[in-house]
Amino acid sequence: MRDFLREHSWAVVVSLLLHGLLVGSLVLAALISARRSPPVPQPLPIDAVVVDSQVLHAAQRAQDDLAAQEAARARAAEEAKAAAAAETEKAQAEQAKAAEEAKAADEARVVNEAQAADAAKIAAAEQQRLIDAQKATAAQKAAAARKAAEAALAEERRAADARKSAEAKQAAEDKRAAEAKQIADAKRAAEERARHDREAELRRQMADEEHRSAVESGPLRDSYIAKLRNKIQNAWIKPPSASVGLDCLVAVTQIPGGEVTGARVTQCNGDAAARQSIENAVYRASPLPDPPDPALFERNFVFRFKPNE
Amino acid sequence: MNNRFLSLAAAGCLMFCAPTWAQLVVEITKGQAEAIPIAVVPFSPPDAAAQTFDVAQLVGADLARSGRFKTTDRKDMVEQPHTGPAISFDDWRRLSNDYIVVGQVLSSGQDRFAITFELYNVLTRQRLLGFQITANKPGMRLASHQVADMVFEKILGIRGAFATHIAYISVLGKLPHRDYRLIVADADGENPHVVMQSGEPLMSPAWSPDGQNLAYVSFENRLPSVYVQVLKTGERQRVSARAGVNQAPAWSPDGRKLALTLSTRDGNLDIYVMDVATQALTRITDDPGIDTEPQWSKDGRSLYFTSDRAGGPQIYRVGIESGDKPRRLTFQGSYNARPRLSPDESQLAFVTQEEGGYRIATMDLRGRGDVQVLTKGHFDVSPSFAPNGAEIIYASRDRGRGVLALVSADGRVQERLVSSEGELQEPAWAPF
Repeated sequence: MRDFLREHSWAVVVSLLLHGLLVGSLVLAALISARRSPPVPQPLPIDAVVVDSQVLHAAQRAQDDLAAQEAARARAAEEAKAAAAAETEKAQAEQAKAAEEAKAADEARVVNEAQAADAAKIAAAEQQRLIDAQKATAAQKAAAARKAAEAALAEERRAADARKSAEAKQAAEDKRAAEAKQIADAKRAAEERARHDREAELRRQMADEEHRSAVESGPLRDSYIAKLRNKIQNAWIKPPSASVGLDCLVAVTQIPGGEVTGARVTQCNGDAAARQSIENAVYRASPLPDPPDPALFERNFVFRFKPNE
Repeated sequence: MNNRFLSLAAAGCLMFCAPTWAQLVVEITKGQAEAIPIAVVPFSPPDAAAQTFDVAQLVGADLARSGRFKTTDRKDMVEQPHTGPAISFDDWRRLSNDYIVVGQVLSSGQDRFAITFELYNVLTRQRLLGFQITANKPGMRLASHQVADMVFEKILGIRGAFATHIAYISVLGKLPHRDYRLIVADADGENPHVVMQSGEPLMSPAWSPDGQNLAYVSFENRLPSVYVQVLKTGERQRVSARAGVNQAPAWSPDGRKLALTLSTRDGNLDIYVMDVATQALTRITDDPGIDTEPQWSKDGRSLYFTSDRAGGPQIYRVGIESGDKPRRLTFQGSYNARPRLSPDESQLAFVTQEEGGYRIATMDLRGRGDVQVLTKGHFDVSPSFAPNGAEIIYASRDRGRGVLALVSADGRVQERLVSSEGELQEPAWAPF
């Protein structure tokens, strides 16, 4: 246990501080809520309440000490009173004896009686004070009890709040879970749909591909290439630098209808004039001939310029 | 990790490389020897002073004369933009133009003009050139040729030679009162200046490599002599006046020597090299036949020349230092003469006899020595390469009159230079 405390001293301290803070805030919360609630007779000021048990005990002890001191004082007073009374009785007896014996006895008796009356009055006052002190102690005890009751009430309220918030949290979680499920379901459905579409697309592509490879390997493709070649060769104005040995690739983009939307020499051993003449040839040939079969249409293709003369 | 990367790369390639395998590749093995369509829009002349010279007209004429361009008629121009942003490319493309030149001529002070021009590719809409040239009024012609040179070079990849000069001999009058003139003109034949005038024949003008001097043969003392004349000052010097023949001067590439044809006492013609500064002679050939019309190789270490040592005239080559035996280059036909080298020495132009006529032919010096006859006239002689090697100027006859003509080095294009008067002979194209 000690080891545990040593090891976790910081945790304990922090925990204690947090507990204190919690209790404090609970009390504060209780007070705030108490203020909000319909006014219950609360005679005591509140600021004494925000203390911990040790302080509370110390206060209690101080009050007990105070009571003991009061009692001692009362006892001493009573003893003194008793002593004084005995003295008085002795004196009275002596006086009476003396009065009986002497003539000025009346006067002395009156004085003594007055003195005795005063002493009784003082004793009565002391008695009253003692009662008051006892009453105060009782009131303090009652306040402590009320305080404890309030703390208990606050605890109960807190527990109730916690329960409520836990319930709300649970409800929110349930809702979230439901929503998540809904989204997941929708996503799954969408994925399913997409997969389905993909498969359909793939099937379509495969069908196209089959058709394509059928036409691509056939004479239609050769005729398309021949048409393209003719048009480009007629459009190419060879610059003087473009002779045997030139070898250039130009990437061509066309849109359906054959309009050339891009022509870029990608690889070329010729000079700038040769490159430019090649790009121009492709643009000049625009629109490119339609393929004999739509399946042969290529958005992107490559012309290779390799003059043999 | 690496394997994973590789498989990822492979997967990526399956997705993106696959179309390449199936990609249609069309091979182009032929092109057209057509002229490139170009529009040279009239340059705006906002002030009256600039209107006196039509830059666009001259640029268009240069390009068209080269045969490599066909210019759009001004009548067909629906609009005449002067700056790039004003060009409606689609419209110009509909008019089948591949390129368009737009520009402005603005007055920039006393008798000075700023020619601003731009060249665009109509098909790609790219701006290819944008320049400003300033010139005074007499310089407008040269400035216009320079515009044409830049356009020519940008599109064809060959330096333009429009802003260069030619020299030629003009003969006026009839015997016995003939007037011979050595003339230097712009490459388009315009702007002719008489450099030398004589009542006796003038022949064989030859440009020094720096374009500052002309060597030529003059019969001014009834006997042929070789002169060198400084063009700027007109100052001339007789460098060879030996007994017999002094003819066919040719400058060495460093400009320090002249190759000449000289005769010995018995009238045998041989090739000599003369140091211009000292006039010291070195004999290059020694053959009983006629050796003449020397021409230097680019490295200055050998000479091409004409010789009839094998019967008819043929072209030979000989080293000038080694004293080696001349090697015959032409074997096709019975007459091949007047060798002239292209600036890069890839081609040799000469006169050949074919079907009874004299024509300009070229020999491929880099390949198998293929010969191509470029012209179809009856008397096409005296070829001379343009300094860019793209064209050959030569002397021809048109309805009995001597004229100057041009043929592209590939024989595709032939043009005739308009001449004002006289019999024009022996053109020589100046260096850049």
